[in-house]
Amino acid sequence: MITVKLFGMTKSLADNQPNLTLALGKNQSVKTVIELVNKRYPKIGELIHNKKILVSVNQEIAHEDTKVQEGDEVALLPPFAGGNLEGQVE
Amino acid sequence: MSMAEQSDLLVRVQREDFSVDAEINRVRSRSKRIGGISIFLGTARDHSKGRDVDSITFEHYEGMAQKKLREIRERALKDFDILELLIVHRYGEITIGENIVLIIAGAEHRAEAFRACKWAIDELKQITPIWKLEHTPSGEVWVEEHP
Repeated sequence: MITVKLFGMTKSLADNQPNLTLALGKNQSVKTVIELVNKRYPKIGELIHNKKILVSVNQEIAHEDTKVQEGDEVALLPPFAGGNLEGQVE
Repeated sequence: MSMAEQSDLLVRVQREDFSVDAEINRVRSRSKRIGGISIFLGTARDHSKGRDVDSITFEHYEGMAQKKLREIRERALKDFDILELLIVHRYGEITIGENIVLIIAGAEHRAEAFRACKWAIDELKQITPIWKLEHTPSGEVWVEEHP
């Protein structure tokens, strides 16, 4: 199980929950996290797909291949107040 | 006070307001070589993208926000010829006209203080996980971008 922190509009889109708990198997990556989120909240999934929402693992911006294991701190980050997130992923 | 405690005071995310004078003195006291101090103070305005704004609520990612601000301070100290850089950002509900964010750069000479201060606020807006909810007469809006 992993806990995914939600902020700003992401939280609003998930019925104002501060986080989601996902059942994640061993040796998984951010891609699986996105798939699980998309099943429950397709609107958030779409925003992640469009790179409007980024995923962080252990407080660093992650990409689809970033490994995720139990105990990691995962978060969904909507666009920050001050800027444009595009180009920040790499 | 240990080095770690001092740098904790130089990079803060806090609910309460700050005193610009007290923060300037905190930077000034870091080095007697400081001869130029540049300041950016961001405050809450009553208008945004054609909408009236009654108040603003800032939300931050506890831990990651502080981490990104520490990175900005460390990079500024490395990349500019400055002696100190302080960053304070508030969270929670902020009334129109109140302080939101403060950057203070202290250098021997003004040119580097200005450059570092501008770079730090621009960078803060790009990489710091802080979100802004504007309360307007027609409802609440999460702000996506701000030039």
